Amino acid sequence: MNARTGIIGALLVVVAVVLLIVLSGGEDDGGDTTTGGSAVSSETGKGKGREGGKQAQTGTKPQVPTIVVDENGEPVGGVAEITVSKGDEVRFKVKSAIAEEIHVHGYDLMKDVEAGGTVSFAFPAEIEGIFEAELEGHAEQILELRVEP
Amino acid sequence: MSFLPLAHALASRQDLPVPDWLFAWGASIVLIVSFFALAAGWRSPRFEQLHERPLGAGISRALLGLPVQALCGLVGVLLLGVAVYAGLEGTVAPDRNFALTFVFVTCWLGFPFFSAILGDVFRPFNPWRAIGRLAGGGFRLIAGQRPAHLAYPERLGRWPAVVGLLAVVWLEVVYGKGGVGFDPHTVAVAALVYSGYALAMMAVFGVEEWCERGEVFSVYFGMFGRLGIFGTRDGRLERRRPFSAATTWATVPGSAALVIASIATTSFDGGQEGAFKDPLESLTEWFVDQDISLVTSLRLSGTVFMLLCFALVAGVYLLGIRGMRTVPGAPDLAKLRTGFAHTLIPIALAYLVAHYFSFFVFQEQAQFTYLLSDPLGTGTTDLFGTAGSGVDYTILTANTIWYIQVASLLAGHVMGLVLAHDRALVYWSDYRRATASQYWMLAVMVAFTCFGLYLLSVANG
Repeated sequence: MNARTGIIGALLVVVAVVLLIVLSGGEDDGGDTTTGGSAVSSETGKGKGREGGKQAQTGTKPQVPTIVVDENGEPVGGVAEITVSKGDEVRFKVKSAIAEEIHVHGYDLMKDVEAGGTVSFAFPAEIEGIFEAELEGHAEQILELRVEP
Repeated sequence: MSFLPLAHALASRQDLPVPDWLFAWGASIVLIVSFFALAAGWRSPRFEQLHERPLGAGISRALLGLPVQALCGLVGVLLLGVAVYAGLEGTVAPDRNFALTFVFVTCWLGFPFFSAILGDVFRPFNPWRAIGRLAGGGFRLIAGQRPAHLAYPERLGRWPAVVGLLAVVWLEVVYGKGGVGFDPHTVAVAALVYSGYALAMMAVFGVEEWCERGEVFSVYFGMFGRLGIFGTRDGRLERRRPFSAATTWATVPGSAALVIASIATTSFDGGQEGAFKDPLESLTEWFVDQDISLVTSLRLSGTVFMLLCFALVAGVYLLGIRGMRTVPGAPDLAKLRTGFAHTLIPIALAYLVAHYFSFFVFQEQAQFTYLLSDPLGTGTTDLFGTAGSGVDYTILTANTIWYIQVASLLAGHVMGLVLAHDRALVYWSDYRRATASQYWMLAVMVAFTCFGLYLLSVANG
């Protein structure tokens, strides 16, 4: 190994170490929040506008996010997101203005909802990955479910 | 109507992004490994010699003889026929029809994976080659002479295959992204059109000539086959050192472009739900604002980004080549450009494994259960009694997938470095200059590998 290789090598190692420290500094927060496991953290976007108030009043009870589907078969406020850790229970409701069939992919759960009705889902998160729930008839995604290890 | 890439249309599950800590470790290991690769500095090429050992004459005759070759060809033609028939006559639901999974998962991903281990396994099953050879044989029988062919223009090299590769992936991930038109029927029609084109080209230039240069699937799968351990020479099967046959692959124009196209298209597909998601959406909105329909806008923006990926990957590679040219004693640019193209094959493979490995494992369960028993997706057929089976998504955990993704990129990186170092030792007689030239290739490889890791870490974000 000549001097130049040595210098460049040393530089690379320094860069590597710095990169490692910088990036793993952010990991402490990111890695652990999901393992807290307190059921569901959800962002139903603007959908909270309609349902959020009601949820807030329920106070200490764990909130069950509700996805509102409008007359056009679209989720109000866009696709909802739910992130859970493996083994937790996934809970959400769908309140639909139209009669539809709701399909949670991967877990292959199907439930019908009547026009103006509400349907609840509650199941253990046993498969890791990212899954979608959609309105079968409209082929419209309403939920992105993320199950982390 | 939702607008989702193919993986969504077929599989019910997406990979979680690689966590930050694993990304950091991966990137750090890349740099450290690269440093050791430089420091190791071996002085004579390791892989430039194939070290072939012929297999027994009996086994060669059996496997390469007419009966087995004809049988494999027949299987290929039959499967193509089943796929086209299922596409035309079966359900329009992408995930319930044999055609889409068979073409884009079993073949398009399966052949690269298995070829990289075993060698060019597609060749005997290539349906167009089989039909072409049959037609050629028939011609000889009737006319009593070999069919006359035009000389293939050497300058074209593998460029027809490059264009074809981009077209296939474009159909898969850009055209299909609109969620409209990308149904099994479209794929069946595309397969028929392609068959007509391939057979016409074989008639013009000759079967083997076209398979070597222009037939997309032969050229693309054959590229990965160069990494595998079995090959043929002078009509005899042989075992060779893994990866070594890659060193004799990039001898014609367009070879570098083919590997680059592979890396670029995988990057695009891997990034369209992650790294490129926001800019893609912005561009789509811009097109929509120009009074272009949403579906067309989606396709336009996808096309633009796929070409940008190609330009980016090509740019990084060409920069490395230009850098190497500055090292005293370097061959000319054209020679360098083609001469180092094969060093990217392991990286292209690593990208494929990293982005599609889990998709392949899950979707092949569908292929060999309900899609095989009920190819048309009618819900009433059950040929092998497996129509009711589903995909078991628990056979791979997120952690397993992450480690395989990062490990494949690291392994591809190391193999790329090794092949590049070897090639430099061939081009520069002085090993110090060879090593100096490799600072450039090292930078190229680090860029690709870290880019790959980055795409994984923000995938499906």
